[in-house]
Amino acid sequence: MSAVDEVPYGTLDLLILKTLDSMGPMHGYGLARRIEQVLGRSMPLSQGSIYPALVRLEQQGWIAARWGVSDTNRRVKLYHLTRGGTRQLRAEVARWERTTALVTRFLEAKS
Amino acid sequence: MSVRRHLHRLVALFRGRHLDRELDEELQAHLELAERDAVASGMSLDDARRAARLALGSVAATREAHRDARSARWIENMMKDARYAVASLRRDPGFTATVVGVLALGIGANVAMLSVVDAAFLKPLQLHQPDRIVQVFETSRSGGFNNTSAPDFLDWRRLGSSFAALAAEDSIAAALTGDTEPRRLAGKAVTGDYFEVFGLHTDRGRTFAAEEDRPSAAPVIVLSHAAWRTEFGSDPDILQRHVVLDGQAHQVVGVLRPGPFDREETRFWKPLALNPEEHPRDWHWLTVYGRLAGDATLAGARDEMEAVDRALADVTPAFKRDWTISVEPLVRRLIGDELRRAIAVAFGAVALVLLIACANVANLLIARSSTRTKEMAVRAALGASRGRLVSQLLAETLMLCLVGGVAGVALASVLVRVADAVLLAGVPYLAPLRVDLRMLAFTGAVVALVALVVGIFPSLQPSIRDLAGSLRQSNRGSSAARTRLRRATVIGEVALSLVLVCGAFLLLRSLQKLQYLDTGISVENVITLSANLAPSAYASAPAAAMFYDAVVEGLEAAPGIERAALTSHQPLQWITQGEGLQAAGREDILNVRYKRVDAGYFEALDIPLLRGRGITRRDRLGAPRVVLINEALAARLVEYAGITSPIGRIVKLSAPHYAAKGMVYEDFEIVGIIRSERVAPPGRPDPPVVYVSIAQVPRPDFRILVRTRAEPATAMAAIRDAVRRVDPRLPLGDMATLRQVRSGTLQRATRPAWIIGSFAAVAALLAALGLYGVLAYLIVQRRREVGIRMALGAERRDVIALVLRDAVAMIAIGVAFGLAGAVGLTRVIGSLLFEVSPLDPAMLVMACATMVVIGLAAGALPAWRAAALTPLDVLREG
Repeated sequence: MSAVDEVPYGTLDLLILKTLDSMGPMHGYGLARRIEQVLGRSMPLSQGSIYPALVRLEQQGWIAARWGVSDTNRRVKLYHLTRGGTRQLRAEVARWERTTALVTRFLEAKS
Repeated sequence: MSVRRHLHRLVALFRGRHLDRELDEELQAHLELAERDAVASGMSLDDARRAARLALGSVAATREAHRDARSARWIENMMKDARYAVASLRRDPGFTATVVGVLALGIGANVAMLSVVDAAFLKPLQLHQPDRIVQVFETSRSGGFNNTSAPDFLDWRRLGSSFAALAAEDSIAAALTGDTEPRRLAGKAVTGDYFEVFGLHTDRGRTFAAEEDRPSAAPVIVLSHAAWRTEFGSDPDILQRHVVLDGQAHQVVGVLRPGPFDREETRFWKPLALNPEEHPRDWHWLTVYGRLAGDATLAGARDEMEAVDRALADVTPAFKRDWTISVEPLVRRLIGDELRRAIAVAFGAVALVLLIACANVANLLIARSSTRTKEMAVRAALGASRGRLVSQLLAETLMLCLVGGVAGVALASVLVRVADAVLLAGVPYLAPLRVDLRMLAFTGAVVALVALVVGIFPSLQPSIRDLAGSLRQSNRGSSAARTRLRRATVIGEVALSLVLVCGAFLLLRSLQKLQYLDTGISVENVITLSANLAPSAYASAPAAAMFYDAVVEGLEAAPGIERAALTSHQPLQWITQGEGLQAAGREDILNVRYKRVDAGYFEALDIPLLRGRGITRRDRLGAPRVVLINEALAARLVEYAGITSPIGRIVKLSAPHYAAKGMVYEDFEIVGIIRSERVAPPGRPDPPVVYVSIAQVPRPDFRILVRTRAEPATAMAAIRDAVRRVDPRLPLGDMATLRQVRSGTLQRATRPAWIIGSFAAVAALLAALGLYGVLAYLIVQRRREVGIRMALGAERRDVIALVLRDAVAMIAIGVAFGLAGAVGLTRVIGSLLFEVSPLDPAMLVMACATMVVIGLAAGALPAWRAAALTPLDVLREG
């Protein structure tokens, strides 16, 4: 069972970008928790799968990381959105909306 | 994927450990934070820990997924394989050194040989558009090369429209005198467009102007760059200087750019200043080169010269009515058929060596992999995929081949340096031999090919195909296919090596024949030097004749000198001058080689007189002209004019003028017959030769022969002194002992023998190594069988016989195939042999015997080892 089967492929990246955009800098655990909360019980997330996604986004230059301190004084890696990431998020959201709008129209027309 | 991502993935390869550590810390933080949250929501510590781990999932899987995401895994695997390969090769240095050595030999020899082929056949000559440069010459009915007469050359130049430029050259030499010791410089007298034909440009100054190409013009010369450097100390004011050549001041008008002409012996060029009235049509002395015009083709030029030949039929002298005009590309003339063939054969030989080396390495690898079957099986059981195992084996092979390739290139660069000097001495305009980028690319291709051929064998083995199976069984069985494969490679190796060994033996036999080649002269303690009389000081024939007498007398009076003699042409070399001989009552003219010698020549070289008398001091200018003939000419005279007793006969023979070009036919009396001295290259029959008295037909350039009492080198000072006393301004050049001349003449025939002989030795050694490897391995496999046999009462010699029988079987089959191959290749090697048939039975038998002995020697060690086994040893091993 891999995480990819649980969260539709490619959407995890978008969820991370969106979360960082609205919540500001976060560590990996925080991100995983936040996404879990938003997804609810309907779509369980293996928290570990967030880390490969993070390194992928980091290498693309959409997010950046630095070592910082959590509210409980634990040394953690904090991720934040870069300017490129913000642009990417906007583009992704726009594309997503276009796609859903298209699919919705298509489905409605059929019924 | 974006470029940026690729870059990151590459960088991640090298930061793997650091990134792993960071991830571990991050995951640790993740777990701690999750635990705290769980505890805060009221769980017990243990439950909280479990819940945190459950939510995170497998740490190991996350780590793997992280690695997959962040870096190019296939590269990472490859690097791991490479590291593992290096480690496993270092564990077995003996094996590694053997394989690398074998590969280095094979690859090095091939790269070196290919750079020879490249320079000789593929790269253009180091001249401007060399494929447009041709040589134009006359060919008699029997083929060959003839020089051209001045009027013929002028007619060709006038009528031939296929050439952008057509130039003639005449080889000359001049004494350079000045503030230092007089020196002899080789030069060329050339017509004006010579430099255009060869596309030569000057570094400083200019080439000849049109008006300087006339007989009346003031004397000028152009220097080669090398001459300017070495003879004139790179004098920056050289163009303001007058250089004294043969006593006459010459203005230096130009210095050539550095280039291929610096490797030639020609140091200066001067205008040829042709004056057609002076030069009769039957006096052949010019070498003609042309550059094809822009749109002209070689075939077109040939057709045109054929037409020119027909147009000139009326003025062509009778004796060469059936001659034709040849147009050949310069490169064809420079690299003759003989050199071409020798290079091709040597290239074939190295290719064979590489093939044998490959077979050997494959063999060694199979042997090695068979001892590692279990290691492979264990790794497979632990989860390594078959692809990973094969790629691991290939990585090891590739690593070996890479190291072998590097060592091979190092070897090649040494070999190339040796070959460069040899090849450039023969053909100066060749591109220098280099192990350049293209050669490295070729090496890369060879290495890759070798790695593929050699690496595929071990990975095709049953043990790899069925890993689980090989874990179950002990290393006894399952190797029949492998053994067959190894036997086949050894048989192949023996066969290929035998082909080379046969070639080597035939060439060595030919070499031996050459060493004992009867040259007809005695070469011991004879030194030869060239001399050139300056026309200004020796304007007439009598002056030259007087000098001859004086110099021989002076030399023979000097200490340590036994005899001195003069000749127009170096002994043991082709006599380049050909003249006509006409018997009384015959229309047609016999073409003979024309050599001028003095009274002491035959005695100094121990050439026996067969009949009549030799040349004496009384045969001088003004006395009746005499001529001696060699045996070949005596035989020729019988069929030419039915002359069976030539002594006392008067024949018409051309007598060239002393300084001017041209000749007249004069009466000569045949006074003696001598035994032929060798004039033609080995393997060719002696041409007919006439010997005339140099005093009766003098010429300004000649050679001095000195027979010394002790080592010739010790008499050098005495020789110099004696000549200087006669003429202090006469430079001596081109000094060599006859022994050196002899080996130089033979060298063209001996060189391929040495090259192929050494390749054959290497190949035979490799084959022996292969045989040894297989037999030794088979013995290890059959230890049990041997032990049981011995337990049942077999003697040690039975065991030895058992092993050797195996060896003999493989050798016999290999030798049979090899002989078939050698017989098939007779045509290739036949042309390189001197007085040896390519099917010489003695040599073939010896080659086979050598191969069998080498094979048995390779088998003896394993056999002896097997015999040293005791049944107990083997049975204890279980």
